[in-house]
Amino acid sequence: MKRIFSSSLFGPAVATTVVTLLVMATTDRFLLPGNLNNLALQVSIVALVAIGSTLVIFIGTIDLSPGSAVALLTMLLAMLVKFWGVGFWPGIMITIIFGGGLGAINGMLTAYLRIPGFISTLAGYSAYRGIAFMFNLGSPVFDVSPLLDSLFYGTVFGIPWPLIYIVVFFAAAHWFMRYTRLGRSIYAVGGNAKAAHLSGINVPLTQFLAFVIAGLMTGVGAVLMAARLNSGSPNYGAGLELQAIAAAVIGGASLAGGRGDVLATLLGAMTITIVQNGLNLNAVPTSTQGLVIGLIIVLAVGIDMWRRELADGVVRLWPGRTAKLPPTDKEKSHDLPSSV
Amino acid sequence: MNAATGQILRTIVNAMQRTGAVVWELRNIIKAFGPVLANDNVSLTLRRGEIHGLVGQNGSGKTTLIKTLCGAHQPDSGTILHDGRPVRLPNPLAARALGIATVFQEFSLVPNMTVAENIFLGGWPGRLYGIDWRQMREDARKVLAQLEIAISPDDVLADLPVARQQMVEIAKAFAQNASMIILDEPTAALAAREVEHLFALLQRMRQQGAAILYISHRIDEIVQLVDVVTVLRNGQVISTAEDTPIDIPYIVTKMIGRSIEEYYPKERNATSEVVLEVRQLGTERGVADVNFTLHRGEVLGLGGLLGSGRTRIARALFGIDPLTTGEILVKGRRVSLTSPAAAVAAGFAFLPEDRKTDGLFFNFDGCRNITIANLRGLLRGIQLDLAREQEVARGVIEHLDISPAAQEGMMDQLSGGNQQKIILGRWLYAGAEIFILDEPTQGIDIGAKTAVFRLINELTRAGNGVIFITSHDDELLAMSDRIAIVRRGRVVRIANVNDVNKADLLQGAGEVAA
Repeated sequence: MKRIFSSSLFGPAVATTVVTLLVMATTDRFLLPGNLNNLALQVSIVALVAIGSTLVIFIGTIDLSPGSAVALLTMLLAMLVKFWGVGFWPGIMITIIFGGGLGAINGMLTAYLRIPGFISTLAGYSAYRGIAFMFNLGSPVFDVSPLLDSLFYGTVFGIPWPLIYIVVFFAAAHWFMRYTRLGRSIYAVGGNAKAAHLSGINVPLTQFLAFVIAGLMTGVGAVLMAARLNSGSPNYGAGLELQAIAAAVIGGASLAGGRGDVLATLLGAMTITIVQNGLNLNAVPTSTQGLVIGLIIVLAVGIDMWRRELADGVVRLWPGRTAKLPPTDKEKSHDLPSSV
Repeated sequence: MNAATGQILRTIVNAMQRTGAVVWELRNIIKAFGPVLANDNVSLTLRRGEIHGLVGQNGSGKTTLIKTLCGAHQPDSGTILHDGRPVRLPNPLAARALGIATVFQEFSLVPNMTVAENIFLGGWPGRLYGIDWRQMREDARKVLAQLEIAISPDDVLADLPVARQQMVEIAKAFAQNASMIILDEPTAALAAREVEHLFALLQRMRQQGAAILYISHRIDEIVQLVDVVTVLRNGQVISTAEDTPIDIPYIVTKMIGRSIEEYYPKERNATSEVVLEVRQLGTERGVADVNFTLHRGEVLGLGGLLGSGRTRIARALFGIDPLTTGEILVKGRRVSLTSPAAAVAAGFAFLPEDRKTDGLFFNFDGCRNITIANLRGLLRGIQLDLAREQEVARGVIEHLDISPAAQEGMMDQLSGGNQQKIILGRWLYAGAEIFILDEPTQGIDIGAKTAVFRLINELTRAGNGVIFITSHDDELLAMSDRIAIVRRGRVVRIANVNDVNKADLLQGAGEVAA
C-alpha cells in the first residue's frame, strides 16, 4: 500500500485511470479495437517526442522547439527521398541525425553560450519552422515514398509498429536514466548544477547531450509524423512542444529540474491523448478540448502534490491502520527545516 | 591564585554585577512533546541592561523555550512573570503586546519600504488621517542615532545588505520599547566584521537598559558579548546564570557533557611524505605567490580573516578559478587542474563552505549523494551497478556514523552534521587524498563539530592531507599541525602550530584594515 502511494508513478497513473473511466462512461465506442489501435497511433508521436522534452526538463530547463523541428524534419525527409534522390532508409537515418543536430544547436546555445533554454529554444521554435517553409516554395510534399506508410500503419503479429516503438524507446529511456552515468548526471545537474560542477561532473556537456538526445527523439517523432500522412509539411507539429511538456508535467517531472520519472511521461502522454480521443468521440469542439487539457494538467499535478492527504483518507477507511508516508518531493520543497 | 579560586571569584563577581531590575522571570517551565521533555523545569531571570546568553546543543530545548516566550507554545506547567506579575502568553499577539520582540533569521520586515517605515511598521505616527511622514522620519533618525547605526531612514530596505537589514530589525524592536529582545542565532549569516558591528550595537542597547536574550551555539562569540549565560542540556538548566563563569571550557563542558579535551580531540598523524606541493600559485582573482607543501597525515590550517583569500586559494587548488601562474604537484607529479573534474581525478576533495547550495543534491537520497563524485567506480560495462551502490553507501554511512535513515532519506531530513558527513563520505568513496575543508563546522551544532574533528583525525590517520579553513581561531589552533597565515591572497607565514598564537592571527587583521 505504502509503496504504491509513494511511487512517483502513482499520481500520473491515477490521472490516466480517471480519464479512461470517464471516457468509457461517456462513450461505448472507446473500447472498440479500431479506436484502441487509433489511440496507440495517436499517442506514439507525442510520447516519443516527450521523452526528449522530459530529459530537458530534468536538467532544469525547457525545450520549446520540437514542434517546429518536426515540421522542418518532415520537409527534410520528404525532400531527401522524393526530390534529392536519397534512398529511403538513408533518408530516415539522415532525418533522425539532423534532428540530433538541431538539438545540438539548442544545446550549444544553452549550455555553452549560456542563453537560457527558454530563450534559445524559443528562437528555435521560430527559426526551424521558418526554414521548413523555405523548401518546395513553402508547400507540403505529398506521396513521399510507398515504404513510408508501413512505418506507422504496419503491424507485427498484429501489434502496430508505433506501439513497439513506444515500448522500445521508453524501456531504453528508463534504462538510460536509471543505469547510466549520463542519466544520473542529468538528474544531478538538474538538482544542483553548482554541486554537480564541484563533484567533478561536466555540467555543460551534460546539458548539451540532454538537448542532443531530445533532438534525436524529435527526429524519431518527425519520421512518424511524416509516415502518418506520407508527406512532409511546414505546418506539421504545431503545438506539439506544449503537448510534450504537458505530458512530462502530468507525469510529475518538476520544472525546477532533477526530479521525475521518464516512464511517467508515457502515462502523461496517454492521459492527454485519451482525453482528446474521448472528446473527439463525443464530438466536442477543439476549443473546449484545449480547456479540458488545461484542467487535466492542474488536476494531475494536484493529485501528485496532495497524494499524502489522499493516502491518509484512503487508509482511514481501513480501521486500525495508520498512514505513514514520506512527504512527496513537491511537498518537501515547500517545507522549512524544522528543529526542536 | 589557582584556576579554581579564579573561577569562584568570577562567579561571585558575575552574581554581584546583576543589578538591573528583573523584567522577566521563568519559573519551573515544563513542556513535553509526547514522551520527550523538551523543557524540564527550566527557570531563568532576565534583567534590564543585561545580555543573557542562552546556550545549548540542538535538541537542548532552546527553541522550545523561545517558542514559549513568543506565545507559540503553551508550557505544561510553570509560571512566567513580567515585572513580578504572573502573565500568560496564549498566542504570539499576547507576547508582542507585553513587549517581547524576537529577531529570527527570517526578518519580519517589508523589503520595498524604507528603513523608517519598517522601524515603525504597523505603528506609524499619524494625524487625523494619513501618516505624518516627517514625524516618522524624525523619530527613525533619533532611534538610529541613539543606537549609532549609520543607516539613512530613507534607504529602501531591499537595497541594504543582510547584516544591515538585521540591524533595522533590531532597531525596530528597540523603538517599540521591547521589554525583552530575543535574538536567535543572529550571527549565522554574518561575516566577522558584521558580527563586530552587531555586538557593538547590542552593547549600546544594553547601556540604554534593554533586556536581551541571546541564543547561540557559538561559544567563542558569545563569551565576548554576554553578561551571564544559562546552559541548557537535554531540556534542563545544567548551569544557571549565577553559576556560569564566562569561560569557554566551562561552558562547552556543560553544554556537551564532556570535557573540552574531548571537544578538540586532536591527533598528530603528520608524516614527512609530501602529498601536495604548490609553487608560485596565482589567479586572476587576487591569489599571488602562494607556496606551500602538504604532507600525508597533516592538517595545514589556513589562518586569516574573512576575505583574506583563503577560499580563493582553495578554489584555485580545486580547479574552479584558472591559474595564471605557478604549478601544482601531487605526489611529485605535475597536474593541470583546469576544472573540478580534473581536480577530482587528481585526488582532491572539496567541502564547500555553503554545503546547501554548493554541496548537496536535495533531489537525491543519501546513497546517490555519496556516489555522485565516483560513478565510474560503480560501472559494470556501461551500466551502473545499483546493488553495489547501495552497499557502498551503507558502508560509508556506517563508517562515518551517519544516521541510517540517510541511506534512503532525502537531504532536507538530515541534520547539518549528517549532511556534512554525507559530503565527506562522497569524497572518501571518490578516493580523494587531499581534502580541502572550507568552514566545515559552519552551522552545525557543537556535538556534530566534535564529530567533524574526529573525522579530520580519521582522514589524517589514513594518510590523507587536509587543508583546513575556518574562521574560528580556537578550532584552527586546536586542529592544525601547521598554520599558513593568508593575507591579501598571499601566504605570508607558515609555522608550526605551537609557534602561532591568536595574536598572530589577528595581527594579519590589523594590516588588512590598514
